[in-house]
Amino acid sequence: MSLRSRAENSCNAIARACFRASGPNADVISLRGVTLVYPNGTRALDGLNLEVAKGSFVFLVGGTGTGKSSLLRLLYREQRPTHGEVTVDNVRVDRIKRSRVPHLRRNVGVVFQDFKLLSDKTVWENVAFALQVTGAQTKDVIRQVPRVLDLVGLAHKTRMFPSELSGGEQQRVAIARALVNNPKILLCDEPTGNLDPANANEVMDLLHRINLKGTTVLVATHNALVVDRMRRRVIRLEDGTIVADEERGFYHLNGNGANAAGTPAPLRGSHGLGTNPLLLE
Amino acid sequence: MDWGRIRFFLSEVWRNFTRNLAMQFTAIGTVAVTIVLLGSFLFTREAIGKIGDDVLKRIEISVFLTEGATPAATRSLAARLSADPRILSVEYIPKAVGLRRMRERLRGQIDTSLLTQNPLPDALRVRVRNPDTVHAVAASIRALPLVANVEYAHDAVEKLLKLSDVLGRIGLGIVVLLVLTAAIIISNTIRLTVFARRREIAIMQLVGASRLYIRMPFICEGLLDGLAGAAVALGLLELARVQLLPKLAVALPFIPMRVGTVDQLALALELLGTGAAVGIVAAWLSVGRYLRV
Repeated sequence: MSLRSRAENSCNAIARACFRASGPNADVISLRGVTLVYPNGTRALDGLNLEVAKGSFVFLVGGTGTGKSSLLRLLYREQRPTHGEVTVDNVRVDRIKRSRVPHLRRNVGVVFQDFKLLSDKTVWENVAFALQVTGAQTKDVIRQVPRVLDLVGLAHKTRMFPSELSGGEQQRVAIARALVNNPKILLCDEPTGNLDPANANEVMDLLHRINLKGTTVLVATHNALVVDRMRRRVIRLEDGTIVADEERGFYHLNGNGANAAGTPAPLRGSHGLGTNPLLLE
Repeated sequence: MDWGRIRFFLSEVWRNFTRNLAMQFTAIGTVAVTIVLLGSFLFTREAIGKIGDDVLKRIEISVFLTEGATPAATRSLAARLSADPRILSVEYIPKAVGLRRMRERLRGQIDTSLLTQNPLPDALRVRVRNPDTVHAVAASIRALPLVANVEYAHDAVEKLLKLSDVLGRIGLGIVVLLVLTAAIIISNTIRLTVFARRREIAIMQLVGASRLYIRMPFICEGLLDGLAGAAVALGLLELARVQLLPKLAVALPFIPMRVGTVDQLALALELLGTGAAVGIVAAWLSVGRYLRV
């Protein structure tokens, strides 16, 4: 796994470099000089610049309140930047009209720590809901829902209710729902925050498989284990700015990325938050 | 037609509607009370207006003669009146004929057999060509010999129309207040539904449902409240028409109840339309306020 992902990762890096050279279409996500100040005066993001290549897999790490969730919210237009440009799939989402937001959202799947499933709907209905409320034809619902449920490995549990599933399974339902509209980008805000290590790994493997199919995946997390296991691009935020950005990085980056790829990853649990964040949850 | 989509939409509307039944019944009840009042007000106004029109159309002057008027003198008076260019026709109604007509008119309503003698005087019924001249003609007739009294409906009609106007204003005020109340209650009901469904709404917004799509079930809920309230009200009004009006007609024999002349289908449609409009408008405003989409 680690070898394979390492190989893929370097491919990704090469691909990204090529795309970058080829023009403005290369990056599926681009932030320029983005500052976000909340009405209460909190400066969530401060002059942020970021490019994410099509088809890549990116971790956003950093403690609570460092701006990870704010950054994701800008991308699905839950939040508008105070200053700066936010481009998603060649659309300036900081400028689009409110009436265009639904179209953006169909192109960007979002997954949260608390799954956000509807408890009175079955697995099938939860996933179908995303298609039905966006006005999909019934024949598309019948075709797409089993496809994504199969992808997340829950084809046999379609009639169950969320309360009858494990946390990992619930998160996989949420991922299926985020994917059923075939988005180009999948945003995950602490997807493993409520999961034990086994379930967390299962979910991360799923995200990996989804990424292999071409979907760009952004994961905001403070789960050091999953980051270190995947060895993908890691962007560390601190006080609303990017303090480190590395290919095949670790959760705990050393300095400005000088100690990046290749160096074995010791799990320094006492670093940063004081303990391994996973144990806290 | 994609029946699956329609069924999904309707099931969402139904889910909304049944989530808070007690509140829906409150909303429907308020709409029903409003519409019942609006309906009876419109009905009364139209009925009074019809009666007024009716009387106005056949403006007649009843000329009651003194006891001493002989038939010959009466006839010559009638001939003299007929010569007046303002007068269309003059009909001589001896007191016996007058009594017979009264008995016919009140048959089944009042027992006229109790009348042992004829209380009516001889009378002339005068019709004018132009309703506007009725005052002048009446005044000139009053000045003639043999004439005991002159009565004509004009004053009564004017009073009736004035009354209906005043009633109309008061009624309209009450109806406007009630419509506002109904709208507020419906919008509150929908706010509760929005609150109960905030998770669904958040997810709809997240996966990219359009604003109209998110709003539509709530608008339909308001429409349903309005229509159901109006339907209940129509039932009550129909019951009142069947059960109450005949009794009212017996109680007030001198007022002609011309129920048949009021266009009941148009009235029913007006009331249903009002209910639906109140529901939709209240829902739209409520969704706009409580659903920031």
